[in-house]
Amino acid sequence: MNAARETILGRIRTALRTEAHRPQTPSDAPIFPPVTDLEGRFREEFLALKGEIITDLPAFLTGFAKIASDVPTVASNADVRQADLGVTGCDCLLARTGSIAVCTRSAGGRALSVLSPVHLVIARRDQLVPDLTAALALWHQRYDKHWPSNLSVITGPSRTGDIEKILVMGAHGPKRLVLYFAD
Amino acid sequence: MNAAQQFSKAAAAKAVDLRHRAIIQKNISSYDIGVARGKDKFADWQNARSRVAAIKWETVNHLDRYLEEFERNVLANGGHVHWAEDAEQARQIVLTLARQHGVRKIVKAKSMTTEEIHLNPALEAAGIQPVETDLGEYICQLRNEPPYHIVTPVMHLSKADVAELFNKRFGSALDAPAEELTMVARRQLRQDFLTADMGITGANFLIADTGMIALTTNEGNGRLSVSLPRIHVAIAGIEKVIPRLSDLGLFWPVLCTSGTGQALTSYSTLVGGPRRDGEPDGPAEFHVILLDNGRSKLLANLEMRDVLHCIRCGACLNTCPVYKTIGGHTYATTYQGPIGSVLTPRLRGAAEWSHLSFASSLCGSCTDVCPVRIDLHHHLLHNRRDAIAGKLDNPLQRLAFKLWLWTMQSPARYAAAGKLASLGMRLGLANSFAKPWTATRDLPEPPRQSFRDWWSKQ
Repeated sequence: MNAARETILGRIRTALRTEAHRPQTPSDAPIFPPVTDLEGRFREEFLALKGEIITDLPAFLTGFAKIASDVPTVASNADVRQADLGVTGCDCLLARTGSIAVCTRSAGGRALSVLSPVHLVIARRDQLVPDLTAALALWHQRYDKHWPSNLSVITGPSRTGDIEKILVMGAHGPKRLVLYFAD
Repeated sequence: MNAAQQFSKAAAAKAVDLRHRAIIQKNISSYDIGVARGKDKFADWQNARSRVAAIKWETVNHLDRYLEEFERNVLANGGHVHWAEDAEQARQIVLTLARQHGVRKIVKAKSMTTEEIHLNPALEAAGIQPVETDLGEYICQLRNEPPYHIVTPVMHLSKADVAELFNKRFGSALDAPAEELTMVARRQLRQDFLTADMGITGANFLIADTGMIALTTNEGNGRLSVSLPRIHVAIAGIEKVIPRLSDLGLFWPVLCTSGTGQALTSYSTLVGGPRRDGEPDGPAEFHVILLDNGRSKLLANLEMRDVLHCIRCGACLNTCPVYKTIGGHTYATTYQGPIGSVLTPRLRGAAEWSHLSFASSLCGSCTDVCPVRIDLHHHLLHNRRDAIAGKLDNPLQRLAFKLWLWTMQSPARYAAAGKLASLGMRLGLANSFAKPWTATRDLPEPPRQSFRDWWSKQ
């Protein structure tokens, strides 16, 4: 389809010979209010999204027969397609939105963090960052020039509001998103 | 019946459908509450709009450069890039890939671009089964109807409607709650995810500096569609490119806030190529199809170039009094509401679609809410101007405007016209003149005294 490529780029270049009216340069004032208490804000947002934070990891794990894990401290005994719990690490935790950033490298591939009905994330408090902009910067710093093929910012369990805007958890991804602080 | 006549007929019926109105009001009022809350989380929402608009301006006005950068980086990541001048070329690219890989079943994440190119019928005709996996799109597919709204595909259905459909198809209870209905779909579609050969998605953004596509979903169907099948194809309009990965720090929150009121949707996902060495899973091939399909014509139109800033959030639909009254299906287009009325005559031809630009009160609410500051209601006027092309098409209309001009040019004639109109309304004459209006509405009682009379007596 090289012909189409040349045609489209040609059309674009012809169109762009005239520049459109340039909008005023916007102010570079901060778009969001600052986040001060990283852990406090993260907890507040994460719990409001119906995420769960556990403190007793062994007790939690006894509730699951088939576990697929990418974390050395949790034993894996099932394939990701059969597991009823997927256990992963993460790249960082986003305080402003209560989100968890994962990628194929930090979370054991693509399916492990989305296919099982329950997703457990093992994290540390020093992985807290203020917001999405900080998380993207951290990804850049960590992976630039050798990017993982898939990265995700997870904000709460899977959900849908397609039927009358009624909130239902677990549309296709995990119904429960659980976090354990290892430190 | 042509498209304009069908539109008038469908609009007249929908406008008096009170059940439809109740469902839409319920849905949009909960959207409104969510969005107001979401905007409160910004220090300055108006400045956020200006910032994303400025980045979009920069990209669209150097589109060739950013598309080439995107292409270069996708190739470097081990992906493939295809260019499609129109819908037919895009469909052929997908069909060729499907044939090459012996694809029988395709799981699809929600994508308006694939609706635009009418991909599903082409796949079915080739003996390939496309499965829509977004719950709303899945319901549309089961009902064999197009999405009602670009973000909320089944906004027009009540829970009872969905329960009835699922009862017929899957035998679930007629009084099943939304949660149970969602689980029925989850069970059905899980099998499809596990057995599909190809995953097809759209792209909310194409990231030039890293060669990635960004996907915004809540259900997780997007992530499953790019995780399990052995080939991933993403289809996106050429205007979806943004310069830098870091721009998503602004674009993702703005899109999510305008789309649903969420600070971020459940899954903000980046795909940058096929499975890499050392990764445990993921497709063996990653393809991006860049679709023109009329977009470069908009780019050449200086006055309307900013229409290409659109990030398809759906905010202009949700605020539009016309959309809320006549409903999404009445438009009979892929993109509905104000953005649809601006785009469709340009993408699909003015001769057949100009009527949409006239179906607006020009209240400007769409322009007010647009997160990328597209001057939507003025573009409706631009479309109208070009449709008329300097001549009014109806002699009666021409006479009416001449009369109106003559009246407005003299205070005495204006005052006399006011008195005449008031008298006419009191005598009930207006009812015969304004029948199309009064058939479903009451005319207001005319005031006993005009403002001018009252003022002159003060």
